[in-house]
Amino acid sequence: MTRSEVTTVPQSQGLGDFTLLVSAHQAGIWRYLRFLGADETEADDLTQETFLAVLRQPFEDRGPPATSSYLRTVARNLFLMAVRKSGRDPALRGPALADLDLAEEVWAKRASDGGNAYLDALGDCLQALAGRAREAVEMQYRDERSRGEIALALEMTEDGIKTLLRRTRETLRRCVERKLET
Amino acid sequence: MNDDKKDMREELEDRLADQALREKFSSKKPPDLSAKIADRHAATMAAPTSVAVPLAVRKPWRTTARYMAAASLLLAVGGIGFALGRSTNSAEVANLTRVQGIHRDEEIIEPVIEDAYFSEDVSEVGANSNNGVNMGQAMAPVLTEAKAFHAPSSPAAPVTPTGVTRHPSPFPGTHAPHSPGPHPGISGKPYAGTKVTPRIIIQESEDAALEREKIKEPHLKQANEGQRDEQLRAKEDATRHMEAIRRLLAETRKLKKNNEDRDDLKPSDHPGEKHPTDKLSDLDDQRLAYTALQEERNRIKQELREKGKELSELLAKGEKSEKLIKDLEEVQVELLDLPVQLPPLGQGEGPEHRGANFDHITENEFLRVKENALSTFSIDVDTAAYSIMRRYLKNENGSSQLPPAGAVRIEEYLNYFSYDYAGPKNDDPFSANVEVAACPWNAAHRLVRVGLKGKDIAIDKRPSSNLVFLLDVSGSMDQEQKLPWVKESMRLLLDRLGENDRVAIVVYAGAAGLVLPSTTADKKTDILAALDKLHAGGSTNGAQGIELAYQTAVEHFIKGGTNRVILCTDGDFNVGTTSNDALHRLIQDKAKSGVFLSVLGFGMDNLQDKTLETLADKGNGNYGYIDSLAESNKIFGQQLTGTLITIAKDVKIQIEFNPAQVAAYRLIGFENRVLAAQDFNDDKKDAGEIGAGHTVTALYEVTPIGVEAPAVAPAIDKLRYQVPSKLTDDAAAGELMTLKLRYKQPDGDKSKLLEFPVKDEGKKFGQASEDFRFASAVAAFGMLLRRSEYSGNATFAAVAEIAEAAKGKDAHGYRAEFLDLVKLTQKVWGNGGR
Repeated sequence: MTRSEVTTVPQSQGLGDFTLLVSAHQAGIWRYLRFLGADETEADDLTQETFLAVLRQPFEDRGPPATSSYLRTVARNLFLMAVRKSGRDPALRGPALADLDLAEEVWAKRASDGGNAYLDALGDCLQALAGRAREAVEMQYRDERSRGEIALALEMTEDGIKTLLRRTRETLRRCVERKLET
Repeated sequence: MNDDKKDMREELEDRLADQALREKFSSKKPPDLSAKIADRHAATMAAPTSVAVPLAVRKPWRTTARYMAAASLLLAVGGIGFALGRSTNSAEVANLTRVQGIHRDEEIIEPVIEDAYFSEDVSEVGANSNNGVNMGQAMAPVLTEAKAFHAPSSPAAPVTPTGVTRHPSPFPGTHAPHSPGPHPGISGKPYAGTKVTPRIIIQESEDAALEREKIKEPHLKQANEGQRDEQLRAKEDATRHMEAIRRLLAETRKLKKNNEDRDDLKPSDHPGEKHPTDKLSDLDDQRLAYTALQEERNRIKQELREKGKELSELLAKGEKSEKLIKDLEEVQVELLDLPVQLPPLGQGEGPEHRGANFDHITENEFLRVKENALSTFSIDVDTAAYSIMRRYLKNENGSSQLPPAGAVRIEEYLNYFSYDYAGPKNDDPFSANVEVAACPWNAAHRLVRVGLKGKDIAIDKRPSSNLVFLLDVSGSMDQEQKLPWVKESMRLLLDRLGENDRVAIVVYAGAAGLVLPSTTADKKTDILAALDKLHAGGSTNGAQGIELAYQTAVEHFIKGGTNRVILCTDGDFNVGTTSNDALHRLIQDKAKSGVFLSVLGFGMDNLQDKTLETLADKGNGNYGYIDSLAESNKIFGQQLTGTLITIAKDVKIQIEFNPAQVAAYRLIGFENRVLAAQDFNDDKKDAGEIGAGHTVTALYEVTPIGVEAPAVAPAIDKLRYQVPSKLTDDAAAGELMTLKLRYKQPDGDKSKLLEFPVKDEGKKFGQASEDFRFASAVAAFGMLLRRSEYSGNATFAAVAEIAEAAKGKDAHGYRAEFLDLVKLTQKVWGNGGR
């Protein structure tokens, strides 16, 4: 059997449309895979795999939300298989694998557009962040400093930094949620 | 919502916020993968041989039988599956999917995922619906869920008596035009959006029926098993042969037509001369087409030979088919009309051999000592280029070819041979041996040989080994000279390992997996059993395999021992992290763990030479190419300690030429190992490794003061603001040059410097050692193969003469084989060659 006999090009759209599909959804799928617990390399690989799998099948675009959901399903299953095959403990890959349905629910609620609106809202919320909370966030995420280093700089204990960061994220989350709802 | 669920939701929300913050602040943003996806799709469309074919196609009956067995079992438990499909909500179904998938992915999911377009195998049983039975979903989540999205909802998907859901076709236009219609054994009509080929349908229905019978009435089946199996096999064989021969016939006709259409590709009437199309300009297209034609012909011829043999066996068993014999004869007749032997082509670059890929090499030039007193490079102990050259020349199809110029790395030719250099006498891990004599291809020039010799470690004194074999079992490895040779090479190595050594096997294709956890090498039965179970199939996701292999090696790291990943592949990383840069970064990162790498290339049709060489380079390793089991024996037998035990790493050579003695110099080979002068003292700059007992040889062609170097670049203008530096007193000491070496201990971070001043004693070429003369012959051979502008008056005849006289003891016969290869090259090159 030759490839030309078995390869299925999307029936309802040309390759140009497929390029648009990739361009519109690749970042969202990559972020979703990272959210599920994939590392960066895995997310790179599986994002590609997801679109290639879609390209092999007849595909009908029913609008961004349905398409996004469909792509996530393919990506999730690819990731699950990769985890199983790796023989590593899925529990070590983060909380999402422990309850995939809940993870999907959270993602669909907050980041169904691939996370763009979430990031925009987060950007707005960060502008209002000040003081130690902002310093801790910047040191943790921008400077990638260890918790010990941040603790030293802010003259707090490591546990204190952990709590501060968690609470700050919580505050930011509430802010993002409010913005997304409005 | 219970507390656990609430906590979990909180954790997931927190993770989302954490991830978003990382992206917002750092560089961990989603990459743009569009080009990569487009490339991979294009590659998939363009390269049918790399398709992950086999599992579904080679054993369709087995796959189908599994589905049927599963469906029958489902019926036997009273339609539980149906009830589940009806009653569970989507979350429960998803859970069921996961649970069942875990048990079955090895057997069923893999072919679906790797070959999603081979959907005829799974789509009918794998049809998914919100209402229907979800066996297919459980078995093949990606495909079925994908279908679930784009298939319009079917309110009442009926269920067949076997428990399989039928769907009305939502995409009537998507059937293959040759679709044979309803599948008699499974469902009433072909599933929407799939293609069904007659070949697979026939096999599916017969085998499925047989398999059902086996499940229903095992005693009956047992009684008739032998007879039925034999009948079935004979029928399958006949069908298979018929199809193969028809395909060959079609391909031969196509090839013949292609050949007729391309007058410019016809061979020269004078086989010794260069082909009329062999011009420097616009040669590539013709060369590629020419090579492809030749390869196609060889492949068909080979397949025909095999089919003929199998057919004779079939006929001997009493199977009669006049049509079969007629078709076979027709192929043979058509094949006779094709050109017999195409003449060798000119210098090749790039993907000369279809699929094989070699990097372009720009030869080192002569450099003036006044402007470039320092020459710096990293050592290289790879030998792959030599075996690749041998493979081209000793093509098993009987059609010898010259290797493409990009495949000729002269330093690897030099280092393929062992030389009798004196070993180190002090604590240093290697010694330096320098010899200077007249250059055989240009009497006015001098040839400088720098030879390093690593300290020997007796086989019984070698430290314990922690080896992880990383085996490529992708579809492209499913050839006689690939995976079977990989296994044979491993067996050879196992014979030399003992209870203090550990072996693990990681395989990679569509995904990576640990098929043998790290096991002491005395448990040979376990290791061999794991090895025997391996089979090739799927596309190549090397990056995942690399990750897992290094992880396994690190987990069993032996301090002071040999810790090494041995990668066996054809180098075709077509899934996952495929960009060279990303692969290099990955390997470089892994090399920091202290685990060394050996890369072994197999096969020629798809060899990604550049990728493999670079991986070895970045991974603190060496690169060999297995073109025969004899080569495997050399690497894992005679040179085992050199292959496994690294005695020094980041070994760099820097030579300072004395401008009072040398006008210009040229480093022969090592083109992709050249370093900047400042890299020599920079311990962060990676360089090559040397193994126990290894010899490394580098040659410089030197023009003494007063002799104009050929093709040297024009002198630069005098500087307006500076005067050239003056000579030191040492320049008058009569030294030709100073050899400087830097190396690190295998587990060290700081390099050590060694220095050796070198004088030219004015030796004639005939006065030089046997090793010197032999190495010069090898270098001249490489230059001739590359059509180097620096090959002076070297000829193949002269190469053979010098090599013959300098053969020495040649305990393993490698030098004698070199002589054979030189003679073979002369023959392939023809009378027009030198």
